[in-house]
Amino acid sequence: MKFNSWKWKPVVAALAAAAAMSALTACGEGGGSGGSGSYPSKPIVVVAPSGAGGGWDKTARSLTKVLGETKLVDKTMTVENKPGGGGAVFMAEYATQDKKNPYRLFVSSPPILINNLKKEGNSPYGYKDATPLAQLTKDYGAIVVRADSKHADIQSLMADLKADPTKVTVAGGSAPGSMDHLITVLPAYKAGIDPKAVKYVSYDGGGEAIAALLGGNADAIGTDISSASEYLKAGKVRVLGITSPERLGGDFKDVPTLKESGIDAEFTIWRGVFGPKEMTDDQKAYWAEKLQALNDSDAWKKELAANAWEPEFKGSDDFAAFLGEQEKMIQELLTALGMAK
Amino acid sequence: METLQFLADGFASALQWQNLLFAFVGVLIGTAVGVLPGIGPMSGVALLIPVTATLTSGQDPASAATSAIILLAGVYYGAMYGGSTTSILLNTPGESSSVVTTLDGYQMARQGRAGAALSIAAIGSFVAGIVALVALVLLAKPLSEVAIKFGPAEYFSLMLLGLAAVSGLAGKSMTKALIMTVLGLLLATIGMDNVSGVARFTYNVPVLYSGLEFLTVAVGLFALGEVFKTVLHRDYGGGEIIKVGRVLPTRQDLKESAGPIARGSLLGFFIGVLPGAGATLASFFSYIMEKKLSRNPEKFGKGAIAGVAAPESANNAASGGAMIPLLTLGIPGSGTTAILMGALIMYNVQPGPLLFEDHPGVAWGLIASMFIGNLMLLVLNMPLVKVFAKIIETPPKYLLPIIIAISVFGVYAVQYTTFDLLLLIGCGIAGYFLAQNDYPLAPLVLGLVLGPMIENNMRRALTASNGDFSIFLTKPISLAFLLVAVLWLLVPLLLKLRGKKVIINEEA
Repeated sequence: MKFNSWKWKPVVAALAAAAAMSALTACGEGGGSGGSGSYPSKPIVVVAPSGAGGGWDKTARSLTKVLGETKLVDKTMTVENKPGGGGAVFMAEYATQDKKNPYRLFVSSPPILINNLKKEGNSPYGYKDATPLAQLTKDYGAIVVRADSKHADIQSLMADLKADPTKVTVAGGSAPGSMDHLITVLPAYKAGIDPKAVKYVSYDGGGEAIAALLGGNADAIGTDISSASEYLKAGKVRVLGITSPERLGGDFKDVPTLKESGIDAEFTIWRGVFGPKEMTDDQKAYWAEKLQALNDSDAWKKELAANAWEPEFKGSDDFAAFLGEQEKMIQELLTALGMAK
Repeated sequence: METLQFLADGFASALQWQNLLFAFVGVLIGTAVGVLPGIGPMSGVALLIPVTATLTSGQDPASAATSAIILLAGVYYGAMYGGSTTSILLNTPGESSSVVTTLDGYQMARQGRAGAALSIAAIGSFVAGIVALVALVLLAKPLSEVAIKFGPAEYFSLMLLGLAAVSGLAGKSMTKALIMTVLGLLLATIGMDNVSGVARFTYNVPVLYSGLEFLTVAVGLFALGEVFKTVLHRDYGGGEIIKVGRVLPTRQDLKESAGPIARGSLLGFFIGVLPGAGATLASFFSYIMEKKLSRNPEKFGKGAIAGVAAPESANNAASGGAMIPLLTLGIPGSGTTAILMGALIMYNVQPGPLLFEDHPGVAWGLIASMFIGNLMLLVLNMPLVKVFAKIIETPPKYLLPIIIAISVFGVYAVQYTTFDLLLLIGCGIAGYFLAQNDYPLAPLVLGLVLGPMIENNMRRALTASNGDFSIFLTKPISLAFLLVAVLWLLVPLLLKLRGKKVIINEEA
């Protein structure tokens, strides 16, 4: 039997995959009352429009895990990864083929707006081609410099940028026109500096951007506060400003918001869950009830804490209204950068 | 002395029975993950995170974190061990870091020396793993300070050196090697450009936004190209089955491999420390270095054991080196270490400058478990060599369909698109014709991997210098790399002009 040595390999793969799946979806068949009607009557897929391991993927996995464990949803929920084009590949397929399929939901964040609005590499589909079901978490942007930087506050950085933008190198973990870039130039733009003149160097991911900052290859970076907090605690960096509406607590209690520093800029990095464009009222009501219950559950609070995610819940209507506002702001910024569609 | 005390505590924690079990399960799954193309270390680790969360749920938070990271890291370096197996046996690289292993590994297998190739890969990986760990314990802090000073200009010049050096990988003609390098660079421009955000050569096709997947191209060129060649040339017609000779390497093999393993380990470790450079570059560099140092460079590409020993040591050492920026700075040097970092964060352990102070148990427990895990891998892999080596005895009429099935399954498992399956077949056909006409495939693959990195770093450097090209010459490290790269290309040309026989032409 020459093939015996072969057989175990696919088996191991299948076992590994099955183990992963069953751990994710280990939810009971009983319990849990439906919203109304017969929905859902089939297993539900939550798509992370990226590869395994990123923020979308982790949100999708946590969401399905807690909804299953708490028996809020009694149908099997699985996560599917759909990488490509920063979510654009998935949106193209979803908005055309799944617009009436209430058994496929997906997780997203501001790039769904940005990709739809920017000129190059844009996605023809945006949040209006889906139904916003709920915002689950929030994070904010931060402008960060090295601890030994000569810039003690955001004003001094802005003054240098204004005086000679070619002398200041700012960096971020994603491409121009994407989220890190927008966060980085937002204070400059609001402070009256031409955002196109700001020298932005894009790295592959926030980690590389921090490395560039610490190694002296960038003067300041734009990132999110959750990535900056550990370096702040270690005394390696100074956070000049954050894009939250109010001052935060904890490690960031001494960091002023941009607004406090006289720069009228705000940016919330949300993560939320979406359904297909055409959902019945019953289906929307089902998820409104379930996601609200999820947000109130202790299991979800524990999950959020374990991932260091800040909770912020908005129901479908509030969420849609908020997305409309953020879209306007991103549009304005991209237009100023000359990168709008 | 303090370090030794911490390390001893780490061993105490790693030697607890449940952690030994976790390390074993990790390296076992890792080996399987490495063997299967398609499930790379990155998706392997990501898929296991929820499983480990369930397995460790009973323990207190600190020891749960230690156990989980021991298992996940085991998958990571286990995959580095396993990655060589399909490269050697089936000419099918499972990871980008084992592409270069196909060059000599597959030739060795065809000559009936699959056992020797597989066991030298395991031995090399083991030695490299231990070397990298010792270096990690001793040099973590100072090296992390140096690594972050490495800016875009330095990376650019280092990678340019890589491309210049790849001309030495070539078969009969340096011109053909350079053509393939440039072709790889051209293919690499497809997709969304990371620096300007411009979509290039995508023709509004969304699947092209993220560019061509490296794995698809490599598996197509190498594995399917080889399948097509066997079918078209009726290599199987003779019914001659390759016999597996002895499984263990001979004394001569070991002697020839000792130097390459030692050099590959050190080189791999130092390249691995640089965030972003990674195991692929390390494996290519060490292969090229061995070819240049060898007294019989013409043997490379025809089954030289050093051509297996060096890159396999280097890619394993690089995965050890990549732990340094992760553990000391919280900066992941590769996709897989980024996911490991995510796993630590899930346990409320934030990798970063404070890790060794806040969670010494986790950090040192992990380091100690890696010593144990490497030993387990060696013990696990040596008997498996015998099993795997038998694969090569399978008659082609069964083996070829299996290679095709594995290639298709592997590519689809990574990309989930039919586009990549078409690309796979296209690359297979291209691979066949290119190989038939003596165009070397490895430079194309390296061009494809390095293309975006070279381009991005060049433009990052130029953005920072306001478009002034002298930045590449004023930084000393960058200048040194560039000089070596220029010499690499010029010296053979000059020798040729003076009528001397150039090394790379001796193969003809």
